[in-house]
Amino acid sequence: MHPIHQTSRRGFLKTAGAATLSALAANYPRRVLGGEEPLEKIKPTADTLIVLFMGGGMASTETFDPKRYAPFEAGMKPDKYLSTFPSIDTVVDSIKISKGLERLAKVMDRGALIRTYTAGDLGFILHTRHQYQWHTGYAPPQTVAAPHIGGIVARTLGPRDPALPAFINIGQRFDVGEGEELKSFHASGFLGSEFGPFNIPYPDQAAESVKPPAGMSPGRFQDRNKLYRKLLDSSPIGRHGSAYQRDSLLRSMDNAHRLLSSPAAKAFDLSLEPKESLAKYVPEGFDPGKLGASLIRDGSYEKQTIGRFGLGCLLARRLTEAGARFIEVGTEYIPFLNWDTHENGHTKLVNMKNMIDGPVSQLVLDLEERGLLNRTLIVLASEFSRDALIEGKPDKKVKDQVDVPEIINDLKNYGMHRHFTDAGSVLLFGGGIKKGHLHGVTADERPCKTLKDRVVIEDLHATLFHALGISPKTAYEIEQRPFYVTRDGLGKPIKELFA
Amino acid sequence: MKSRLLRVLLASFLSGNCLAGATLTPDLAAKLPPPATHKVQFRTEIKPILEASCVKCHGRGKSKGGFQLDTRETFLKPADSGPAAVPGKSEESYLIHLVSALNPDEVMPQKGSKLTAVQVGLLRAWIDQGLSWDEGVTFSKPLPVNLNPRRPALPPAARGVTNPIDRFLGSYFASRNASASPIVEDRQFARRVYMDAIGLLPPAEELGRFRTDRRKDKRERLVRRLLSDNQRYAQHWLTFWNDALRNDYAGTGYIDGGRKQITGWLYSALATNLAYDEFVGQLINPTRESEGFTKGIVWRGAVNASQTPPLQAAQNISQVFMGVNLKCASCHDSFINDWSLADAYGLANIYADEPLEMFQCDTATGKKAPTRFIFSELGAIEAGMPKTNRLERLAEIICDKRDGRLSRTIVNRLWARFMGRGLVEPVDDMEQEAWHQDLLDWLAEDLVDHGYNLKRTMELILTSRAYQMPSVSLEEPKGGAFVFSGPAVRRLTSEQFRDALSVLTGLWHERPDGEFDFMAGTGRDRETMFARDLKPLWIWNNAAALDSAPTNQTVYFRRRILIPERATEASVVCAADNKFTLYVNGNKVGESNDYERPRLLDLKPYLLKGENVIAVEATNTGDKPSFAGLLFYARVRHVGKTGGRERIMDFASDQEWVWSTSKTEGWERPNHDEQSWASAYVLDVGKLGRADGHQYMAARFSRILSGPLQHGKARAALVRADPLALALGRPNREQVITTRASAATTLQALELTNGLTLDNFLKRGAERLAGEGPLSAAILIDRLYQRALSRPPTGEEIAAAREVIGDPIQKSGIEDLLWAVAMLPEFQLIQ
Repeated sequence: MHPIHQTSRRGFLKTAGAATLSALAANYPRRVLGGEEPLEKIKPTADTLIVLFMGGGMASTETFDPKRYAPFEAGMKPDKYLSTFPSIDTVVDSIKISKGLERLAKVMDRGALIRTYTAGDLGFILHTRHQYQWHTGYAPPQTVAAPHIGGIVARTLGPRDPALPAFINIGQRFDVGEGEELKSFHASGFLGSEFGPFNIPYPDQAAESVKPPAGMSPGRFQDRNKLYRKLLDSSPIGRHGSAYQRDSLLRSMDNAHRLLSSPAAKAFDLSLEPKESLAKYVPEGFDPGKLGASLIRDGSYEKQTIGRFGLGCLLARRLTEAGARFIEVGTEYIPFLNWDTHENGHTKLVNMKNMIDGPVSQLVLDLEERGLLNRTLIVLASEFSRDALIEGKPDKKVKDQVDVPEIINDLKNYGMHRHFTDAGSVLLFGGGIKKGHLHGVTADERPCKTLKDRVVIEDLHATLFHALGISPKTAYEIEQRPFYVTRDGLGKPIKELFA
Repeated sequence: MKSRLLRVLLASFLSGNCLAGATLTPDLAAKLPPPATHKVQFRTEIKPILEASCVKCHGRGKSKGGFQLDTRETFLKPADSGPAAVPGKSEESYLIHLVSALNPDEVMPQKGSKLTAVQVGLLRAWIDQGLSWDEGVTFSKPLPVNLNPRRPALPPAARGVTNPIDRFLGSYFASRNASASPIVEDRQFARRVYMDAIGLLPPAEELGRFRTDRRKDKRERLVRRLLSDNQRYAQHWLTFWNDALRNDYAGTGYIDGGRKQITGWLYSALATNLAYDEFVGQLINPTRESEGFTKGIVWRGAVNASQTPPLQAAQNISQVFMGVNLKCASCHDSFINDWSLADAYGLANIYADEPLEMFQCDTATGKKAPTRFIFSELGAIEAGMPKTNRLERLAEIICDKRDGRLSRTIVNRLWARFMGRGLVEPVDDMEQEAWHQDLLDWLAEDLVDHGYNLKRTMELILTSRAYQMPSVSLEEPKGGAFVFSGPAVRRLTSEQFRDALSVLTGLWHERPDGEFDFMAGTGRDRETMFARDLKPLWIWNNAAALDSAPTNQTVYFRRRILIPERATEASVVCAADNKFTLYVNGNKVGESNDYERPRLLDLKPYLLKGENVIAVEATNTGDKPSFAGLLFYARVRHVGKTGGRERIMDFASDQEWVWSTSKTEGWERPNHDEQSWASAYVLDVGKLGRADGHQYMAARFSRILSGPLQHGKARAALVRADPLALALGRPNREQVITTRASAATTLQALELTNGLTLDNFLKRGAERLAGEGPLSAAILIDRLYQRALSRPPTGEEIAAAREVIGDPIQKSGIEDLLWAVAMLPEFQLIQ
């Protein structure tokens, strides 16, 4: 942690003692007031934040930062290509992206592209460790449970519509590989579960998450609730006195019931979406019944589940319209699947690009059409990028996880199979972000490292928070010390990105 | 030019010339702010400047550059660059040169705001006027709070008040015109004490007996009886200690072997009520079974300097056992307390293979801290001792009776568990004073006097009138200090809630997820784990296996076994020195390459009604002839044709098995010809002596086997967290947690209202209740109320419940009633 300025430290200490009891009562961490240095007041440019997370490591040279392309040829050397797809033009002259992202190419004038996101130096790669850092700003292990940025937003701003959970997380299951690690950061950490994620692992089943339990009719659900009310009224603790714990229980039940019976709950129900608009989010011929495909690594999994992310994006649009505060939609991290290409990189990316191209561009267009894009910030990012040869960074190589043959004879070895942390792409749309803007320069030859305008996680977070009107120096108190919402309070918003 | 002058000046300090006075050239002297012209007051004008700008590096135990301003004496003592000040001559005082920023490269304070001209003027006047220092003012490190043992006299018993806690609180209440009466009635007391001692709801029959008991000391008896229920006690307190010691059955770090469970050790320690000093000692200076706590949690990849395993050990030992927060100090000298980076590294060094280079906020300092415990006054650790001795010594220091912090920290934690708030708060900051210091000090020494028996302290608290007072709402007091007026209302933990539902329905978790020795604390011989006249025996092909079986010898074993009915449950524990592969009816069931880790395997999917063949391929490895053996014990449950009671059938490795050393085609299949196979040789491991690992294995075996005995009875603390458990606040245990959040949240309520976990549980639970025999709605409602709320339902409640339950009883109605009752604050709160 960096040294806090003397005066503000004392300001903090003065308030620390008094906090103890209220913290005890609720066990909610207090917001640390800025002491003698009040936090900068920021005028928000966005009310809703949507994170589209490409878990598994999205190769930037195959998506938003195309480099020298060489088609597959048996006998080629792996250093012959930097991209396995040719580049295409976008509506912004200065921006070229990779083939397979044609619909996104048409909306690049609505947002900004960062090409120099640099992941942390965490040694031998573990995806979930980098994802933890991307989502919290801190690398595990930590002495206190660091909250997900969704938890921070929920805690700091609260819900936009009180009937909707402030932090909604779509598309990630936790019973997959590295599930324990995934759980550890898809959480509000020390901020407390009030600000934790409302998890919707299967977007097509989102409606179930705000309906009575499976098999329970609405009538029975209402009767059950009526019984609870009656028993509550006659229970001695229900009737008498007032107590903090009891009130907190009753309030939570009321809130839950309010969500389950609120009109806002309809936003979760994708079956209410017209067919033609559904078709804009999922590829033609996609069968939503195949969402539970078995986790096979030969490429068939991605093919079968290709529409799942699109359903998530559609759900995000509906929830934004209904007044959600923070939504994350993931392509889902499953070791060796989706963006985690340890082999068949080229083939798998055809599907992955198809998976995101339509839904992400449509989400931008739909929100624009509804007049919501200027108050909604959409961010598309991944924990790091990939390369065919370099594992880690050019100057900080780490233990290789994939053997790359010296001569490529098999298509399965054609692609980006190693983890590259020195330059990755991030897309930003709406919410006060400049339009048609390109940020950062990467090298045209391997290593395709960051050359100019490096972006690190605390600055990216500070940028997102800035758009929402949250100071990067905002801190919450845990164990009598301040915990900052950007790493050690050091994050600085990238001002050039704002319109 | 200026800087050359200053270098000359500095050189004169370093050469020891300083006392002669470092006279400044007139143009430099002119740059100094002028001294204040009035008579300065040390306490009001000087002390605040020193506190704000100097003390952090030169006081409270720190002396950067050899300069320490604790007292006037140390202030004037020459530091690395000579004395800071020459009384009467501020112009010649180095301190004034530094704070005036004569040389931009040499400015004090180095961090934070520079002094203003007015402040420098005050300091100059103070020095010029003779550097007066008020009596008693010191900036030295304050004496540690709650460290030395203290034995306040126990106030006399009065008017039937005998419990020592109440004797201490008597005058506390009197001075506030309050008293520890009335006390709660039996039903409420019983619910509290069952939940607090063993974490379960009181069974209706036991509660009935307790209420009608006329004995005066029945509450004391109940407390003692519950605390002596070793199994239930351990299975309840496991939650608390798993949280505090970061132990879990699944979690971050396990994926790369960056973490190790202490489950087996912890459960046995709790079940046998291991004395607290020994408990702590075995965690600090661990065995292989308890080392997980100080091994820490490591994710794959590079570890940040402030989170290396030795620093994690330092942080966690300090927090859990000593109530000290070293987390800040692991990265930099703490801003919130007086612990320094050197304190954290000094303790971490005990666990490090080599003394660690200190990193300040991720930057190497090039320095190493002296190896020592944070309270070095409790004892030194000789530098250069081997690590094993260092750990032994550290355990000795922390667990010594002179360490009054260890006992105060734990009695305070127990008080906080039972009363909802500690005598000291926060419970992890024992540098704070207690709201009743005498009581804390006395309880701590009482624990020591009673052999660190935690159940003794629990009994004292649970039988006190203070604990029996009506509960109060834990809310923020409107200004002023905390005043104790009774135990706080508490919410059931995630585990208590789930277990309470199990008590309601009779439906528990299927099986424990950790390796527990359910025989621990039962007072029963381990051998009783095994069926009568049956015990797993080490077998091999001949007597040489005791010490000289050929290396890489593989022996094939077979055993035919008749199972009269289809198995409802079948488990086996198997181990081989050195490795084995197990087949049942020709199908591979499992294998192990680690002779120290017996495997528990599920046989049920492979067993058939009728004859079955168990086949094991076992291999002795190593570079020279050595012991070789196979150990096997299986327990099969089945229900007879006509239904009714479950029967248990066990079989084990013994002379009934046959062996062959040649691998013939189909040797593991059922119809293989056993004609040429010989009877197994039973090894007399008793000959090997007590310390031998093969004896230890038998104990380990019975421990593992005790798991399946809990089949269908596992409590929530013994299984992995499910979504309901997480929603209700079970932490992920990547961090030490000593207090869980108590407020209910919307997400919890959602999980309770439409979550799959609870919904499935209620469906199965309703089925089970419906299966308790033919029931009338009235009996069912009454039974549920008695079990859930320890009281009969009122007429109003019966009417409401009947309407939902239906006539005849609908399973869905039972489900809904169960849910509605479980949602009541009366059910979820400990009042």
